[in-house]
Amino acid sequence: MAYSDKVVDHFNNPRNMGSFKKDEEGVGTGMVGAPECGDVMKLQIKVQNDMIVDAKFKTFGCGSAIASSSLATEWLKGKTIEEAQKIKNTDIVQELNLPPVKIHCSVLAEDAIKAALADYQKKADGTPTAAK
Amino acid sequence: MDHQQTHSSNPRELQMARSMCWHCQSEVSGEYFCDRCVKVQPVSKETDYFTCFGFPRRLTIDPGKLEAKFYELSRAFHPDFYQNKSETEQSISLGNAATLNSAYRTLRDPIQRVEYLLDLEAGSVKEIRNSPPADLFEEILELQDTLDEYRASDRTSDAGQQLRTQLQAEQVTLEQRKRDMETQLQQLFTDWDLLQDRGEATSQARSERDRLLKQMREILSNRTYVKSIVNDLVATIG
Repeated sequence: MAYSDKVVDHFNNPRNMGSFKKDEEGVGTGMVGAPECGDVMKLQIKVQNDMIVDAKFKTFGCGSAIASSSLATEWLKGKTIEEAQKIKNTDIVQELNLPPVKIHCSVLAEDAIKAALADYQKKADGTPTAAK
Repeated sequence: MDHQQTHSSNPRELQMARSMCWHCQSEVSGEYFCDRCVKVQPVSKETDYFTCFGFPRRLTIDPGKLEAKFYELSRAFHPDFYQNKSETEQSISLGNAATLNSAYRTLRDPIQRVEYLLDLEAGSVKEIRNSPPADLFEEILELQDTLDEYRASDRTSDAGQQLRTQLQAEQVTLEQRKRDMETQLQQLFTDWDLLQDRGEATSQARSERDRLLKQMREILSNRTYVKSIVNDLVATIG
């Protein structure tokens, strides 16, 4: 199966690879996995004043999974929490031209975004005094 | 392990969905061949793989018995015996043989067998996501960093050698963990079979059933994660 140019590009030059400290202020961490293929994805956002100022990812998996999460971090940067909620896996599929057998990679990326946002929200709600 | 002993060993008396013989319209009560006209009957779509072989829905299967049953049924549907039969019979026997092949491949492998059972009992195992094992994920991602480091290193250097030793140790640990998970699964197989054998309809039995299914699904998922990182390790330092 041939990967699209965009997948290859993200795979060869992944954007925003790395991680933040989990307990850092404003950081939300999403950790998801696909039990069917063993792929693991960690996606983190750093939020300031409701705006995602930075995003990082680490993915163990196939090229499509790496590209999906790399693209997701690119899209997340500069978005508000509300805008980020609206990112759909189908957007990723379209942008990367993923074939049907790789759609689950984009689902994983969407799940990771949702998990990161939820984690951020949970932390923000739980520590109202932490806001500076 | 002798679950099928309570069942007839005759493949023609398998429990399949009641239907009519396509040929003589007499009632076919779960057999591969019609009682009256002896024409081959298609495996019903609702028939699960266990039933195909006349086995109850149990997770411990004697491989020898499964193989014997498979050969017996493969003979019954062998194309050679249908050469002079009608086109309908040829296509039915061919379809049955194909179904049996998939059934055999699935049931022969314990992992595929339990995944199939989970499909039947609790919806697709692949659709349902457990809460992810965060510690395991962190470990996998960290290990992946080390793997990347090793790939980028000069393998003949001290640093490269050191990374290699470290990765080898990780591989041993992870392989052991995979085996432990498989042992755990074995135990759950036994628990499941015992629960089925008791056949209780109490709420206690129901919650025990759910617990077992959930646990099996969890171990299966974790095993896949461990397996995929081990594969990566083997491919890199192999």
